[in-house]
Amino acid sequence: MIVERDVVVVGGGPAGLTAAARLAAAGLTVTILDEQPELGGQYYRRPAPEVARRWGDHRREGGELIAGVRAAGVECRTGHLVWGLADDDRTLLAEDEAGRPVRLRGRHLVLATGAYERSFPFPGWQLPGVTTPGFAQHLAAGDHTPIGERVVLAGSGPFLLPVACSLLALGVKVAGIAEAGTPYRPGRRALGTLRHPARLRELAGYAARLARARVPVWQGAVVLRADGHDRVSSVTLAAAGRPGQAIRTVEADALCVGYGFRPQTDLARLLGCEVTADPGTGDAIPVTDPAGRSSRPDVYVIGEAAGIGGAPTARARGLAAAHDILARETGHPVPPAEARRVATAARRLGHFTALTDALYPSPAQLLDALVPALADSTMACRCESVTAGELRADAAGDVNAAKARTRAGMGPCQGRVCGFAVAGLVRGGAVFPSRVPIRPVRMTTLLELAAEDGPA
Amino acid sequence: MTAPRSATIIVDGRPVTAVAGVSLTAALVGDHRWALRRNPVDGGPRGPFCGMGVCFECEVTVDGVPSVRACLTRIRPGMRVDTTGAPNDR
Amino acid sequence: MRAADVVIVGAGVLGAAAAWQLSRAGHRVVIFDRGAPGREGSGTTAGNLHVQAVHTRRPGQEVPIDSARFLPLQRAASDRWESVEDDLGASVELRRSGGFTIAETPDQCQELKEKHTWEAAAGIPTEVLDGDAAREALPLLGPTVTAATWCASDGYANPLKVTPAYLAAAAGHGAELVPYAPVREIARRGGTWRVTAGTHTVAAPVVIDVAGPWLGEIAALAGIRLRMTPVAIQMHATVRAPVTMSHLVQHIGEGLSVKQVTAGNLLIGGGWPARALNLAGRSVTSVDSLLGNVALAVRVLPFIRDLRLLRAWAGPLAATPDEMPLIGEVPGEPGFLVAGGTYAFTFAPLWGETLRGLAEGAPPPVEIADLGPDRLMTQTKTHEGRQR
Ligand SMILES: Cc1cc2nc3c(=O)[nH]c(=O)nc-3n(C[C@H](O)[C@H](O)[C@H](O)COP(=O)(O)OP(=O)(O)OC[C@H]3O[C@@H](n4cnc5c(N)ncnc54)[C@H](O)[C@@H]3O)c2cc1C
Ligand SMILES: Cc1cc2nc3c(=O)[nH]c(=O)nc-3n(C[C@H](O)[C@H](O)[C@H](O)COP(=O)(O)OP(=O)(O)OC[C@H]3O[C@@H](n4cnc5c(N)ncnc54)[C@H](O)[C@@H]3O)c2cc1C
Repeated sequence: MIVERDVVVVGGGPAGLTAAARLAAAGLTVTILDEQPELGGQYYRRPAPEVARRWGDHRREGGELIAGVRAAGVECRTGHLVWGLADDDRTLLAEDEAGRPVRLRGRHLVLATGAYERSFPFPGWQLPGVTTPGFAQHLAAGDHTPIGERVVLAGSGPFLLPVACSLLALGVKVAGIAEAGTPYRPGRRALGTLRHPARLRELAGYAARLARARVPVWQGAVVLRADGHDRVSSVTLAAAGRPGQAIRTVEADALCVGYGFRPQTDLARLLGCEVTADPGTGDAIPVTDPAGRSSRPDVYVIGEAAGIGGAPTARARGLAAAHDILARETGHPVPPAEARRVATAARRLGHFTALTDALYPSPAQLLDALVPALADSTMACRCESVTAGELRADAAGDVNAAKARTRAGMGPCQGRVCGFAVAGLVRGGAVFPSRVPIRPVRMTTLLELAAEDGPA
Repeated sequence: MTAPRSATIIVDGRPVTAVAGVSLTAALVGDHRWALRRNPVDGGPRGPFCGMGVCFECEVTVDGVPSVRACLTRIRPGMRVDTTGAPNDR
Repeated sequence: MRAADVVIVGAGVLGAAAAWQLSRAGHRVVIFDRGAPGREGSGTTAGNLHVQAVHTRRPGQEVPIDSARFLPLQRAASDRWESVEDDLGASVELRRSGGFTIAETPDQCQELKEKHTWEAAAGIPTEVLDGDAAREALPLLGPTVTAATWCASDGYANPLKVTPAYLAAAAGHGAELVPYAPVREIARRGGTWRVTAGTHTVAAPVVIDVAGPWLGEIAALAGIRLRMTPVAIQMHATVRAPVTMSHLVQHIGEGLSVKQVTAGNLLIGGGWPARALNLAGRSVTSVDSLLGNVALAVRVLPFIRDLRLLRAWAGPLAATPDEMPLIGEVPGEPGFLVAGGTYAFTFAPLWGETLRGLAEGAPPPVEIADLGPDRLMTQTKTHEGRQR
């Protein structure tokens, strides 16, 4: 099947939804796709209707945004994975939930593919019960299901706080939060965030809630290892400054570790959009103008796919891209007042992100602290079961050479989970290349596509 | 307020009940079933990790379809889930 | 400036095999590569050891291989692969469990029979099976298969292990590998070649140009013009599957090679063209080729239908206009040796040994007089390389 639209939006999170709603409201034909079974992306992930009915919808504005998208006439395709790009360099190739091929063309392509969590290995991280904080959050907020009875959160970044609060709300014992940095100390940088009262109040609210529940926050602590048989049962922490030495062991039946988020840029890179190293994180991010226009005139990259900034930033970027597309389509720029409002909001939000980022160790600092302490025997690539030692051996600064040598990154996750650590271990800045298929795709989908009249 | 409607699915031949419409990972974790597959290289048990479709650690067989990511699947009454498949990806 | 006995340009499988042969024989060897070793043709190759006739034409290939000429070379290479793991003291996942070349049409069946007679003449035992016999031997074959030849010595070696194993063994004999050092100047003074790569300059009486797709470019540095056409072809890999197939399966009339590697992934290739050749980075895969190749694979081996495609990649190789290998000394340029062209992976142990012979002035182990660079030289030497 071929879908031809004015605009095709990939990713139904805050960014993609905002752009799609605005574009369709102005009369353009828009299709939005998402691999998830429901629209919402990560931040607005929809609870099951029965969960919402009994326990409420924790993010009602997400439901409203999605309702707005549908009301504006956007064609919504959930359960659709975009896995490739045809040889014409513009037709997106997707597979629907039933494994049928769908081809999509838009005069404008809006990539709002979001982010995934930044992981770093430690002995035992492959044990069942060790997860990302985002998984605990989705289970708690979306499915009203506790990830465990006694949970340790670890890693770095502000996201650990709301996750802990979501767990508390379910009655889960949060045994503690190990934060690799030391952000929760009053200092000049922290004060800068005061200019953003709403966001700061949010963080302060989490902190107060955690204090009331007497959840210990161990600053400057990292996971040394997780132990357990078939499931995690205890977590041993070390001081971030001396990461090899145990400082404390905590009983837990779930351990959620994450170091913030990494932009998901595979589709942008597949489309040939130019990327650059994010000055803050070192991750490869697409080069975009303030409206999200990439180096390819027909491709916009918005939301966290263009750099981490949180859901409000994602929405602002979605709106900015929609305005730019509408201006190009109609020849009439959006009323300057509205455009200015969006630009100002995006700038202020960007400023806030920079300030909060500065409170936490940067990914480069994390690698400096974590990589030397990582024991050679630790599994680094979970899919192919490759150890840190194998990756370190004659590391030449080239992740692709390391991949060929060790198979790290050759499994089904295609290096998304291990990529950050692999780059650190081989001392290479480069990322694994983005190639078709960007996710494993069923042969039956390919056969059906081949049986249609060719992909382009 | 009334209790939420529940749904029963069949996991490895045994019934598992959870709130209707939640993610399959929630139904499995809620039933303390964490080990969903074995890693094809080291044979070790693996469970859901990322919860968002990226890591492929929560793949199970659903109604005969292999390699379905449980985190991207919502439960339906009577759904048959198999976590005992061969330790291979497929 | 340093002195060596041999400078090798290109650390692909040919450069690595030559380095091992030469260093083992006591020669001082320096190998330059512009990037990491073994990442181009030798890192992207299918890794098939072709012993029965490769009659298949790559999609887009203009002339068929002259099998009668090719087969004795394949046989010589096949013999040498037997000892590669012992020679190198390393596992390269070498597997000699045989292979089928299948046919689906009457014409293709006829070709299979012809091919069988050439193989017999070259001393390569093959067996012609009808469709049912082929399916009995390999029940995974689909119903469209009407005949097949079976050759017990077809095989596979993991290319990601072969080049590193040769290089490691060569290093053990003192060969020096200099990666990330693109060769940019080659000049001759009398009997001495000076090769400059990065900050290094090495003088040696012998230079071996095994730069694969860049072979012509490197020769041009020395003022030698060779007609070679770089092309990029692609490979496809499924996720790991339970190990069920130990044989190589090829098609006589269409571009197809399939085998299951040690890790369990099925590797599907057959010379399908990439979307774009990129000699500065990675070539871009073509979805049209991908679809064509996997559809063919599923037709011949229907069990693949139940798997998922995990990865695809493209790699470059340099084809000669006559599709025959290139190996020999450049006439008029004593000590300038070249090797490359078709099926260089299969031929690596043979060409490694042959290059050592050429460097030492010893007779080659197989007849190569007609495979030399003279047939590809477009004009007489320009001398520009020398002057620089
Ligand atoms: C697991 C997780 C949980 C999070 N929870 C919170 C939270 O509770 N609070 C908070 O403030 N922030 C949270 N975040 C941060 C969050 O990413 C952002 O705040 C916000 O969701 C970003 O919006 P976005 O529109 O840029 O992308 P997202 O919301 O991430 O949406 C991107 C969407 O694109 C889809 N997609 C990507 N690639 C493809 C493809 N190839 N084919 C089809 N669909 C595709 C994804 O399925 C996803 O739904 C979370 C992040 C993650 C990863
Ligand atoms: C997808 C694919 C599948 C194939 N399948 C098979 C198969 O199944 N069986 C088979 O027998 N053959 C196969 N081949 C062919 C064969 O694998 C290759 O031809 C062979 O590996 C080439 O080896 P090489 O050493 O000649 O060249 P390469 O491996 O290409 O090495 C050349 C090296 O030269 C280096 N170089 C380039 N420029 C410079 C410079 N200026 N200075 C220094 N170094 C430089 C490059 O970086 C590279 O490492 C296949 C090829 C491809 C691409």
